[in-house]
Amino acid sequence: MAAVRTSSEVALNRVAIVAVLLITLIFLAPIYWIASTAFKPRNLATTIPPTVLFQPEISPFVKLFTKRSQLRTPPTPEEYAAAPWWERLVFDGGEKVVRDGKGNVQPSGYPSRFMNSLIVAITSTILAVGMGTFTAYGFSRFRIKGEADLLFFILSTRMLPPVVVAIPMFLMYRAVGLNDTHWGLIILYTAFNLSFSVWLMKGFIDEIPKEYEEAALVDGYTRMQAFFKVVLPEAATGIAATAVFCFITAWNEYAFALIMTNRRAQTAPPFIPSQVGSGLPDWTVIAAGTVLFLLPVAIFTFLLRNHLLRGMSFGAIRK
Amino acid sequence: MRKTLTGILAGIGLSLASGTSAFAQELTIFWAEWDPANYLQELVNEYEKETGVKVTVETTPWSDFQTKAFTEFNAKGSAYDMVVGDSQWIGAASEAGHYVDLTDFFAKHKLAETMAPATVKYYAEYPAASGKYWSVPAEGDAVGWSYRKDWFEDPKEMEAFKAKYGYDLAAPKDFKQLRDIAEFFHRPDEKRYGIAIYTDNSYDALVMGVENAIFSWGGELGDYATYKVDGIINSEKNIQALEAYKELYSFTPPGWAKAFFIEDNQAITENLAAMSMNYFAFFPALVNESSNPNAKGTGFFANPAGPSGDQFAALGGQGISIVNYSENKEEAFKFLEWFVKDETQKKWAELGGYTANKAVLESAEFQNATPYNKAFYDTMFKVKDFWATPEYAELLIQMNQRVYPYITGDQGTAKEALDNLAADWNATFKKYNRIK
Amino acid sequence: MATAVMTRLDPSTRAAAHGWSDLTIRNLFIIPTILFLIVFNIFPLIYSLGYSFTDFRASTNAPANFVGLQNYRELLNDDFIWRNFAITAQYVIVSVTGQVLVGFGMAMLLNRDIPLKGLLTTLLLLPMMLSMAVVGLFWKLLYDPSFGIINYALGLGTFEWLSNPNMALYAVALTDIWMWSPFVMLLSLAGLSAVPKHLYEAAAIDRAGPLYTFFRITLPLVAPILMIAIIFRTMEAFKTFDLAYILTSQPTTEVISIRLYKMAFQEWQTGRSCALAYIVLIMVLAITNIYVKYLNKVKER
Repeated sequence: MAAVRTSSEVALNRVAIVAVLLITLIFLAPIYWIASTAFKPRNLATTIPPTVLFQPEISPFVKLFTKRSQLRTPPTPEEYAAAPWWERLVFDGGEKVVRDGKGNVQPSGYPSRFMNSLIVAITSTILAVGMGTFTAYGFSRFRIKGEADLLFFILSTRMLPPVVVAIPMFLMYRAVGLNDTHWGLIILYTAFNLSFSVWLMKGFIDEIPKEYEEAALVDGYTRMQAFFKVVLPEAATGIAATAVFCFITAWNEYAFALIMTNRRAQTAPPFIPSQVGSGLPDWTVIAAGTVLFLLPVAIFTFLLRNHLLRGMSFGAIRK
Repeated sequence: MRKTLTGILAGIGLSLASGTSAFAQELTIFWAEWDPANYLQELVNEYEKETGVKVTVETTPWSDFQTKAFTEFNAKGSAYDMVVGDSQWIGAASEAGHYVDLTDFFAKHKLAETMAPATVKYYAEYPAASGKYWSVPAEGDAVGWSYRKDWFEDPKEMEAFKAKYGYDLAAPKDFKQLRDIAEFFHRPDEKRYGIAIYTDNSYDALVMGVENAIFSWGGELGDYATYKVDGIINSEKNIQALEAYKELYSFTPPGWAKAFFIEDNQAITENLAAMSMNYFAFFPALVNESSNPNAKGTGFFANPAGPSGDQFAALGGQGISIVNYSENKEEAFKFLEWFVKDETQKKWAELGGYTANKAVLESAEFQNATPYNKAFYDTMFKVKDFWATPEYAELLIQMNQRVYPYITGDQGTAKEALDNLAADWNATFKKYNRIK
Repeated sequence: MATAVMTRLDPSTRAAAHGWSDLTIRNLFIIPTILFLIVFNIFPLIYSLGYSFTDFRASTNAPANFVGLQNYRELLNDDFIWRNFAITAQYVIVSVTGQVLVGFGMAMLLNRDIPLKGLLTTLLLLPMMLSMAVVGLFWKLLYDPSFGIINYALGLGTFEWLSNPNMALYAVALTDIWMWSPFVMLLSLAGLSAVPKHLYEAAAIDRAGPLYTFFRITLPLVAPILMIAIIFRTMEAFKTFDLAYILTSQPTTEVISIRLYKMAFQEWQTGRSCALAYIVLIMVLAITNIYVKYLNKVKER
């Protein structure tokens, strides 16, 4: 900046820096607290004053993945010695690992829910972004009568409260047997994300100069070839950003998953709150489940940082 | 990177393609998330060893157990072959055809004679006294109390208590004593509080808590045969009982407006309260020293009597039913045949389950197995339950809506709350043509 | 809709004479999406419109009886429902106001030369990317009166955040403010950085006070984008379900989505809940309409 900075401006700037740092710390504190609780011994999770320094433990993660039950009689020393390290951690917590009839360790519900989340989020993202990109191209490049109304129609489907949609969808799914299936949830999430992906992709494709395609057409490409060989590569960044947004939305969705799934297709968000423990809460296990669940989103947020603004405003605002 | 991606996609494709494969050699039982469900898993492991049929117990938290189960029933879903459903569900589930009729099964195995009477009456039979049975009593349960024996036995406390109230400090025999002891130990400046009671209004926790007072005052919720509620639910006894419950709320730890079994157990383990209401089935965590540092100093007692000496407790517990939409009904019947065998029931009790089998319950072995089994046995003969009509869920929500603001929010009077509730229930019964 | 798609093409795009015609491509690209959305979004709504005039219960095998407008009449005369709407309105006002104040304030602070600005902004955006249900659950522990860190850090003793019926809604709103202020911040930052520097320089030359500069230059120029943020958040807050459902069960936090959920999936009053869903739907569409009008206006500039 060319303007001369007065000393009061410099001081003001310093105050602002301190304030920003402070606010960032406050905003991140809950997330830090979740992450640190995931590594605490159970008895340190709910202490006053709060425990900040502690020997980190891996036991919450062991518990997260195994089905456990209250130990009614302590294990004999032989049993304890024969147990693998992770089973000892469970014994130490006053619980034992539940096994099935063949003696195999029973997993908790978490791994299958995590897998369901992956299946549903990835598949619905591919469908929503795929269809969205084609449709956005159509809206961007061809003149369509009532375009604004159609786009409004597409957007408005996203604005419906999930519970409102869930009531008829539940009845329809019941008729065709889609309740509690992966496909049932995938369809809902695809419909939910499709409008978003159309709006966002239209913005990205609008920015690609028409001249590129026209040049390709002159070179003898068909329009389909031009679309695949010229437009898509140009839109790659936009497609990636849209995909990540769709993925995060589907990954985090709660209300539909709560209502439309039960056991087979249940995703992690309605499941994690159900890990409160069977008699006493175990916040360390909830925290461990939360950390693993939040990790992909945290990573994506960093990858996406330059596109956040655009994504969060449905492509209305560009940087 | 590309390899991982292909791997994931292939995995997804496979899972999507296989869809909902139903292996006949597998059974799934749905229950709520608590220790008895884990004990049941251990029990059914024996079944797998004997028959090769793998049985899995699936669980969900209590707060949404009902919603989940009925969403699945109403979706006519086959995710679960059997459900260990709450006693109040039986009307709704049998009338809508969600449960398989077990009347013949009951007769064949003479279950009406071998199971404890209260469990047959409340878990299995609907409509009342019809001789039609819909589930096999699996887990008996009722509300009881845990208390800090170490606090009660502190000589200084005993002396101070006697000086203030004129009688000895011991596990309370009636609600008057319960109130006195709660008041006595309620010391917010020491971060010690009198009593932990149920207040969660998301399912039936608060209602169960209030029922403990109402039933022990000699009151009823209504006439279950004629659906008459006016003058019964808002009787003078019930008003007093509700007022007493509200007074207990003033001796609870801070933040006690959404308390259910987790919070009430925590009140004991975290040194928050002197006494705590809970279902017997949640007590294992309290005698386990790893989860309860005060395990040695924790005692148990049955729900105390009301002013006129009536002593009843709210019934918990569940029967196991076969879901009508299951694809493995034959296998499920075979499993139940095994489940009701005497030796299975004995094993069930050994593992920590609360069997409903009379013979096992009466055995000294069972009664001495834990510090609270005796109190459980006593309670199981004086239990009463909520409405079991198909519209019970609405009745429950209405009771929560009327009673909760009075108890936790200090709104209105007990009489107003119960008068309004009587009107709500009356309207509901009219709506479903139970009364004219 | 079909007629809209079948209109004549812009001749300038008809450059390719071979391959599929542009008309085919356009229809191929657009119609599947429209159909998909009609089948899975509009058709269900028509389906539930029908049920809203009946006493249908999905929990019984009894057939649905036509009851006319009875469901709507009863709902609009139900004090409990009106209280749910009042609670929702209160929640929207508290939470959106909070987000705008905090978010805009943060944007004002960040809109200057600050080291590591990019990193800090990204970190601040983390809360809103996370799952409301999962993170919301953890706030229960943070708010706990006996061992929550919030009371400890603020020295509030055993202050009851969620158990006090008069406080609970504010506690839920506070969590929402934590999650979504960064959203308002992000949009405000975009607005602020678009204000031409020369306007400030001119104001400085005129010796205008900071308040004058803020109200006469900054605010009017940021207002359109801020308005988008407000409408967007209003809509989301109106739909709130996860956070309030997970954090508390107080009657004072029973927003309309929770009431609807209970009516539909706990009481199984399917017909009645369809009617309530329609009442909610009309309100949401009204807000959406305002939003889209605004969006197009901003985009035109």
